[in-house]
Amino acid sequence: MFKKRKNTGIGNKIENSITKTKNTPITLEGLRKSIEKMDDAKIIEHQTQNSKLFVLIYVEPLIDQARVNEAVIEPLRRCTKEKISDCISVSEIIDISTLKEAEKQLMRGGVLLFDTIENQLHAVDLKNTTGRAIETSETETILYGAKDSFTENIEQNITMIRRRIPLTSLKSEKFMVGSQTETKIILMYIEGLTNPDFISIAREKIENIDYDQILDSSQLAAFMEDHTHSMFPQFQQTDRPDVCAFALGAGKVTILVDNTPFVLNAPISFFHLFQSPEDYINRWIVASFLRVLRYLSFMLSLLMVPIYVALTTHHYQMIPLQILYVLVDTRSRLPLTPFWESLLMLLTLEVIKEASLRMPTKSGQMLGVIGGIVVGQASVEAGFASQVLIVIVGISAIASFLVPNYLITKANTLIQFIILILASFLGIMGIFMGIILLFVHLNALTSLRQPYLAPVAPFYGKDWLDLFIRGPLRWMKTRPEALHPLQKWRYSRRR
Amino acid sequence: MNHKHAKIIFIIFVNIIVLFGCSPIVEKNLVEEIAPVTFWSVQKGDEEKYRMSTLIPPLVKEKKRLLTVQVDLLKEGVKGFNLKYYRELKLGQLRMLLISEEIATEGISPLIDTILTDPDISKRIYLVIVKGDFDEYINSQLGVQQDLDYYLYRMFKHYDNQGKMTVVNLHEFMKALHSPSHSPVLPVFEANNENFQYLGTGIFKNDKLIETTNNLEEQIYQLLSNDHFLKYFTLRDLSFVLGHVKADIQLDINKAYSELMLTVQLDGRLDEIAREHDSLTRDELSRFELEIESYLEKQTADFLKKLQENKVDPLHFRNHTLRPFSKPLEEKEWSDKWEQMEVKVDYDLKLQPLKDIKN
Repeated sequence: MFKKRKNTGIGNKIENSITKTKNTPITLEGLRKSIEKMDDAKIIEHQTQNSKLFVLIYVEPLIDQARVNEAVIEPLRRCTKEKISDCISVSEIIDISTLKEAEKQLMRGGVLLFDTIENQLHAVDLKNTTGRAIETSETETILYGAKDSFTENIEQNITMIRRRIPLTSLKSEKFMVGSQTETKIILMYIEGLTNPDFISIAREKIENIDYDQILDSSQLAAFMEDHTHSMFPQFQQTDRPDVCAFALGAGKVTILVDNTPFVLNAPISFFHLFQSPEDYINRWIVASFLRVLRYLSFMLSLLMVPIYVALTTHHYQMIPLQILYVLVDTRSRLPLTPFWESLLMLLTLEVIKEASLRMPTKSGQMLGVIGGIVVGQASVEAGFASQVLIVIVGISAIASFLVPNYLITKANTLIQFIILILASFLGIMGIFMGIILLFVHLNALTSLRQPYLAPVAPFYGKDWLDLFIRGPLRWMKTRPEALHPLQKWRYSRRR
Repeated sequence: MNHKHAKIIFIIFVNIIVLFGCSPIVEKNLVEEIAPVTFWSVQKGDEEKYRMSTLIPPLVKEKKRLLTVQVDLLKEGVKGFNLKYYRELKLGQLRMLLISEEIATEGISPLIDTILTDPDISKRIYLVIVKGDFDEYINSQLGVQQDLDYYLYRMFKHYDNQGKMTVVNLHEFMKALHSPSHSPVLPVFEANNENFQYLGTGIFKNDKLIETTNNLEEQIYQLLSNDHFLKYFTLRDLSFVLGHVKADIQLDINKAYSELMLTVQLDGRLDEIAREHDSLTRDELSRFELEIESYLEKQTADFLKKLQENKVDPLHFRNHTLRPFSKPLEEKEWSDKWEQMEVKVDYDLKLQPLKDIKN
């Protein structure tokens, strides 16, 4: 009963029959069989003016019906030429020789044209290109700067990048990934600038993906990343074409995935996660201040609650007397220890954050207000949490949103929990151990096999001009050394 | 650095921390379970050596009471407090140590050493000498003033480095005690049923209190040593009050260490005149200046004479004997020379009247 069932061979039989079908020569019957039980697939027979029969096969939702009528059906009806393919007014007509090829074209929005006289199948690409219009980015909002963002249409996305970098050296290599989804992946880079190692590593990684479905760029990133079990993103996901253009210009590679508005940039470092497109729009002093503020906020969001727990549990000596006065007074009436109090409040906050994300926009806002104010206030009044902790949790939650990369914000919460546990057992020493552990982990990470902590470790001095601060653009004469670009200078005269 | 190296370095680091930093005995320090005391008052005991007092509960808005124990040893007192109170009294936030004048005149080294060797107690703890019964004052104020301990600490913190009164912490006291150049000082307060009042600066010889400055001496001391500034300089004998007095001090000791010339340039305002006089003229102002100068010269010389007789140097005169390429004077040698030194004081006062004057 517990023995594994023997393979009955049904699967093998089906596979054999499919293989057999794929290799059989194309007949109309074979094509009809392929699309049977597909209600949206159409087979239309027409005659030309000189009574030649032609058959059109297509999947209705995938094609542009108006263009099919205009470019295929009408010209063919009026056709008087010998070869019917000569009558069609499209740029490219593909001759199909195998059934597998025919099915692939059909399912990508192609119209199959069967010439009954010559017994030849042609395919015309007339896919339906309608989709979402170009909108403003919702994940990386900025006040000034370009407002366009990527859509699900990969061709449109490539256009947006090419408009920004109108160079023939901007190469785009196509890959089809996913045995089931056959997802189109485009690897873009600037030839003669981007380090060839990055291109070959990215190419190799994409080619090695063997999976049935690739539906999103983050799924692709999961297959391409060097460290699967890390909480830190190893690819920069962005839906902003200007960010992509900047990354390409710096010497990175960009990977676009069809049907995804998010594009991957690599290699990245830990510090890239703190850079916002607005950094390059603001005045450099303001931008530098904001960038420093982001790093500080990241540390605040990570450490404020653990420090509260460490101080109130182990190191009362380190608390300034004025604050200790408030703490002792509020904490003396609470039933929970600082650790459990903090853990519960942080979990509650995560629940509220997650719930408000899943709700429709307006309800989400309301939920945030109810969660933040009502639950916070009520828990203080009920004596479950101290006012000091509510303030600390609130500040740390707000601080976590200053990091422009949303993925790091999520990782941040988990790291906070780990440091919180260390702080409750070992106090400040635990916090330091947590930070050291974090940096050891970050140091071991790589993105496209490039060190994640560059340009700090390994050290690239010139790159520091655009690291913790954003130096004046005119001082940034060279591209980031950490990316080893083939063209070092940004100024054309210096090249 | 690859993965393996990072792990090795991390393990070494953790081991270093664990070996040198961690204590196997975990001390519970949850703020709601402990009572971090802010002051200790140590007075001479009736039968035992010390009578120690502190205010409980510290830092919490509950009804307060003064906890007193009679002990022979300081740490015995800590234990005694804990046996009397339901929260564990912790010393990590001890900010003030009030020592009675009686103990101070006998020497405060045993007390200070115990405090100094306790790793929990900060070296920034303020040391205060109290004349009278501090417990009596605290008891009288319990119902009147809430959080008295906290506000006392804020007072010392406020006047720290302000120059209006002497405020000394343990670190500064120990530095002065073990330095050959100067004698330690501590503030002296008078406590009674109603008041806790600043009296002046207590001058120590080694660890024993030998002298407390009077009102005028205190002002001269603050002007010459502490901050060279006085907001109000009251000269009761002359019926004058000078305001915003700034002192520029020049000190010359001759090579034989037999003569000290102290030149004080004083700038200030004539804030108050409490004597009969006509409209203020330039001549009269000059006369006042001369009168004050000669008065201050005499008073300063007397004050310094007193210090010489006691062989103490709270004004750090020895620092002026240090030369770049010569051996500094030994403590004993300086002390003998200081006692014999002829002191000359010269004040140069420039006064600004607060009202228009006649020419």
